[in-house]
Amino acid sequence: MVVQPGIPQPDRQHPQTERKDSSLKGTFAAVLLLGAFIVVCWFAVFSLFVSRG
Amino acid sequence: MHLHRYEKMWLMFGGGALLLFVIILTVNAYAMGNMPPSHMQMIEPSKVDETPPFDKPGLRQIGENEYELVMTSFVFGYAPANVEIPAGATVHFIVTSKDVVHGFQIPGTNVNTMVLPGHISRVTQTFAEPGEYLILCNEYCGAGHHVMATKLIVADEGKE
Repeated sequence: MVVQPGIPQPDRQHPQTERKDSSLKGTFAAVLLLGAFIVVCWFAVFSLFVSRG
Repeated sequence: MHLHRYEKMWLMFGGGALLLFVIILTVNAYAMGNMPPSHMQMIEPSKVDETPPFDKPGLRQIGENEYELVMTSFVFGYAPANVEIPAGATVHFIVTSKDVVHGFQIPGTNVNTMVLPGHISRVTQTFAEPGEYLILCNEYCGAGHHVMATKLIVADEGKE
């Protein structure tokens, strides 16, 4: 194989077996915010239903 | 399967919330009797006027400040119309349709049910506040749908 200068070659000695977890902090915050919104809405509607009964 | 730690946490959160909702609704329905406003009873829609209790529609007292209100709905109205009850009364509405699908809603309360021909809808409500309550059709039933309404008058007997 011709090794060309400037082009990175795959590391055949140390193949990547495990990928590092990407950061999901922002996703986690977004999911919890959405979840909190859904829970608050649910309880708001439920308390309206109970108060009208 | 590999799951990110955060993914596990939000799946637990979502699953837990669903479980909580189902538990609250189950307790509310079976232990506290807050069932949806419907009923499994059937009726022959062409013979509503001959079938009890719809052969004698109207208000019937069944307890202390507790009433049964048997009503029929049709294009485009309800019978009997403008029923008067005392404040604080609990009313069990028993409604059926003589023709097409109608709605039966009292805005500001939990009374909101479909009225299907062939089915009898039951819904219970306590009217603590005196005033005029609108009963309206919220299922499009024909050209006169928008005028299909009546009133329930909750009289404040103490002030009369």
